Amino acid sequence: MTQSGPISSCARAATAEEAAFRIDYPLAAARNTRVVALDVEAEEIVRRASEMRWAQARFYSAADPGHSLLTMSGRTVPLAGELEDSNTLVLVSTSGENAEAAATIGAACKARGIMTAGLAVTSGRLTGEALFALRPHTRILLVPAEDDDLFELLRATRA
Amino acid sequence: MLRTEINELLTQTGPGTPMGDLFRRYWQPVLLAEELSANDGPPVRVKVLSERLIAFRDSEGRYGLMDEFCAHRGVSLWFGRNEEGGLRCPYHGWKYDYTGQAIEVPSEPETSNFCANVKLKSYPLVRRGDVLWAYLGDPARQPPLPEWEFVTVPEGQAYTSKRLQECNWLQALEGGIDSSHVSFLHSGSLDSDPLFKGSRGNAYNKGDLKPFFEVVDYEGGLLIGARRNAEEGHYYWRVTPWVLPNFTMVPPRGDHPVHGHFWVPIDDENCWAWSFDYHPTRRLTETEVAAMRAGMGVHSANDENYRPLANRDNDYLMDREAQRRGETYSGIKGIALQDSSLQESMGPIVDRTKERLVATDAGIIKARQKLRKAALALAEGVEPVGNRPQDQKVRSVAIVLPADQSFVEGIGEAMIAKPGVPQTTV
Repeated sequence: MTQSGPISSCARAATAEEAAFRIDYPLAAARNTRVVALDVEAEEIVRRASEMRWAQARFYSAADPGHSLLTMSGRTVPLAGELEDSNTLVLVSTSGENAEAAATIGAACKARGIMTAGLAVTSGRLTGEALFALRPHTRILLVPAEDDDLFELLRATRA
Repeated sequence: MLRTEINELLTQTGPGTPMGDLFRRYWQPVLLAEELSANDGPPVRVKVLSERLIAFRDSEGRYGLMDEFCAHRGVSLWFGRNEEGGLRCPYHGWKYDYTGQAIEVPSEPETSNFCANVKLKSYPLVRRGDVLWAYLGDPARQPPLPEWEFVTVPEGQAYTSKRLQECNWLQALEGGIDSSHVSFLHSGSLDSDPLFKGSRGNAYNKGDLKPFFEVVDYEGGLLIGARRNAEEGHYYWRVTPWVLPNFTMVPPRGDHPVHGHFWVPIDDENCWAWSFDYHPTRRLTETEVAAMRAGMGVHSANDENYRPLANRDNDYLMDREAQRRGETYSGIKGIALQDSSLQESMGPIVDRTKERLVATDAGIIKARQKLRKAALALAEGVEPVGNRPQDQKVRSVAIVLPADQSFVEGIGEAMIAKPGVPQTTV
């Protein structure tokens, strides 16, 4: 193996002393996340998360066929409008209900280049209808997710 | 993103810290057996979980691991004489047996019982496979000996190495959990590395650069399944197990040996990256072992202190021309150094308050959550997982399954290590 140039100083920035010189500035806007519950139990989980303080996350429930969403305050809004400016969408399912809505939302996200994640909250079961309802439409899926996984995911991604 | 206090909780493993207490409930690899290869051989300094220790092998082949410093005046026992059943401090001749018990204090009268009251803090050190394992926790809570398959296969079927990684253990571990970087950072190695190339699975890897992920919470930790398109109606799955707190395995490729890692904290700013290869049903070939010794696959070429020859002092021997030619993606040669160069570049303990995670980092997010919960639960008296034999008899898996099948159901018992049974691989 050959070295193609002089040793640069950047490698030494890995020391504790040099790491202290990393410049400090506020990070840009948080992710613009939408969270959608696909059944009644999932809605309880989503509602609890919605009561926390978030940067730009918005929370909904959905039923088949999924072209509209229901906000946590009960207002019906069109799916397409709520996906504008979004870059991440999280689907939450406990039972696999409303699989058509999952498909509609997943297709809309795919068309818009929106990252999708899924939480199959199935209390200890490693498989089930929730898994198969979410799998085709989510880039990453947690199985079985716990109640607080939604909160952890949103917080970790600065939602 | 993690809050500062959670980052500190997860990254600090010294005595009395929550994560340090968690680590002290597991046998950890601390030395290669080759480092204490002969009775009465030279003692070896060991720093693990921010404790400075000395290891030696006495005249009868018993392994000792104890406080590095003589109880008398604090001299490092690395300078000691290992002879006649104990390690003797060269300063005034105090001598300790493999349990840390003082057995001679020459300045005392021959009939004195002073020795009986002098004992260095010591820990059990046992050999399993080619590795010496230490348990630094409460003796009353000592778990069964390690049952990882790579240390239980017959002689000649495994090869283990270690290398110094100059950063906190957690950012090294997170690299082992984060399957999504493989398609980029290690993309040049699938065709060139003798321990990776030639498997049918590689074609699936290269044919689908945007895998989907399923993170499955199971008793010992997590199973991270990366799925790619295979033949019509089928997915190619690569399943990586993570067992708490610091064990990962890489999914196999063809009949190549299976590999994996431990990430063991030295202190909060350094760790040992342990790398192993084994085959469940056959001896490793001379060619394979030669490649491993040369630093290929998951191993690295190191100096006599197990520090990689390519390290941050020489910019990891960055080769921009190889990068331009496409031989390596990052310009760094070798999978191990490709990982460690980037992980060390984050700084000794990365500031996770500044990171920008994305949804595909859910495996890392979940692992952090499980580590935090396990550490906090232990403080409340809840026993951790991962230190039981059933947690450790685990395998990574590569498999093609029908698209409508759960990968956990599909792999079935393929993820359970069974003597003499081949790995499930593509």
